[in-house]
Amino acid sequence: MNDIRSVLRAYILENLLPGEDPSNLTDDTELKESGILDSMSTLKLVTYLEEQFAIEFAAADLEPANLSSIAALQRLVQSKL
Amino acid sequence: MQLELSEERTRLREAAEQFARSALGKDLARRERTGEFDRDAWRRCAEFGVLGMPIPPQFGGMGLGLSDLLAVMEGLGRGTRDQGLLFSLNAHLWTNSIPILKFGTAQQKDKYLRPLCDGSLIGANGASEPDAGSDIFSLRTRALRDGDGYVLTGTKMFVTNAPVADLFVVYATVDPALGATGITAFIIEKGTPGLRVGRKLEKMGLRTSPMAELIMEDCRVPASQRLGREGRGVPVFECSMEWERGCILASCLGAMERQLEECLAHARSRKQFGKPIGKFQSVANRLVDMRVRLDTCRPLVYRIGELKDAGRDATTEAAIAKLHVSECYVKSCLDAIQVFGGYGYMTEQLVECDLRDSVGSTLYSGTSEIQRNIIARGLKL
Ligand SMILES: Cc1cc2nc3c(=O)[nH]c(=O)nc-3n(C[C@H](O)[C@H](O)[C@H](O)COP(=O)(O)OP(=O)(O)OC[C@H]3O[C@@H](n4cnc5c(N)ncnc54)[C@H](O)[C@@H]3O)c2cc1C
Repeated sequence: MNDIRSVLRAYILENLLPGEDPSNLTDDTELKESGILDSMSTLKLVTYLEEQFAIEFAAADLEPANLSSIAALQRLVQSKL
Repeated sequence: MQLELSEERTRLREAAEQFARSALGKDLARRERTGEFDRDAWRRCAEFGVLGMPIPPQFGGMGLGLSDLLAVMEGLGRGTRDQGLLFSLNAHLWTNSIPILKFGTAQQKDKYLRPLCDGSLIGANGASEPDAGSDIFSLRTRALRDGDGYVLTGTKMFVTNAPVADLFVVYATVDPALGATGITAFIIEKGTPGLRVGRKLEKMGLRTSPMAELIMEDCRVPASQRLGREGRGVPVFECSMEWERGCILASCLGAMERQLEECLAHARSRKQFGKPIGKFQSVANRLVDMRVRLDTCRPLVYRIGELKDAGRDATTEAAIAKLHVSECYVKSCLDAIQVFGGYGYMTEQLVECDLRDSVGSTLYSGTSEIQRNIIARGLKL
């Protein structure tokens, strides 16, 4: 679980929040409504996670609630392992 | 990066230019006025190999790399004024053949690529909708799962080639609540029940490239016609746009070269106040600006080819090239009219036709504003 979390944090900080103080990104930071994850970045993140963890998401897995925070994403990835 | 084309690419460009000069642009002034597509020229482009350029030989193409393609497109743009035909070719190649090549199943490739290369099928792409343009991923066309297939309902706007097309790549959402991750691409053949071409759209320029709305009403499509995975239409669309941005610009580059040559010839031969108008500094300055634009545009276009041929991402670079070339193209077309004076404004010379064609380049494949947004994203802003 921790590994998934650190992969997610590292990806989001580097690609979506460059220059942000890492302590401002918590497991519950809202990612979708805050605009951190827009259409393109969602697709990129999802593809990255599929490659990193050798998993495959179905379209229905990617409903907004499952992408809303690091905690939600972590649960989603875990459910596919 | 290399600033000069290799000998081989120069030969490709010259061959394309010669072909375009001899085979394309017949009866253009009339066809441009009436908005008529040249089916015979399309067939000749297929014979020359244009439609198969990026497709590997096992599917009936030539398997050229992007840098080679850019050289051919530049040659075609220089050799013909029929920019509408070139626009239709670009739409067919980058939004139909290439997505099928990159994302299609073995069966889809076997079935469609050969006829797309030999000119017997014309391809089109339906992404834009009345309420989804720049914000393309807010599209509303629905693809409802129904047994071993989908039922599509919705209207597509601005579909280049639609009135003459045989094969459509269409984007729909399996669930609007999923946003971009619900968008799915489909290949739909003309004649599929529930699919029809709507009203023909009249355009300011590129008038020999036909365009219409595309309407799907309970259009049943088997799952075997899905292009790529369910919910993964966005990468298909983005792949199309990246190829299209680079290659359409190469045709514009060719057109800008032809235009500069014509303007130079006119500025040397047209005399006013007892001397060639090119001797007046304000006229010369326009020609200088046209040349500077051309020389700054060229490397940007060929850089996309180098990056893609090396297997690297070119999203930001393609947006930079699209923004700069299209804006320069419009400015140079305005300059050309000014250099030609009243004759440039008259429709029979077709100088004004370049201007009308050029304006579209700041809109299609993402507007200039959207290119700026992509560049800003590349800057991690
Ligand atoms: C010649 C031509 C051929 C085309 N062929 C096809 C085709 O084959 N298939 C297809 O699907 N579509 C096609 N299109 C449609 C094309 O992709 C759209 O026109 C384009 O994406 C812009 O969408 P829109 O026209 O709805 O304008 P809008 O999105 O409504 O834009 C209107 C204005 O608002 C600006 N704007 C919008 N959002 C933003 C933003 N976030 N930031 C800053 N400015 C913004 C735009 O830049 C523009 O100036 C074609 C268009 C043209 C002109």
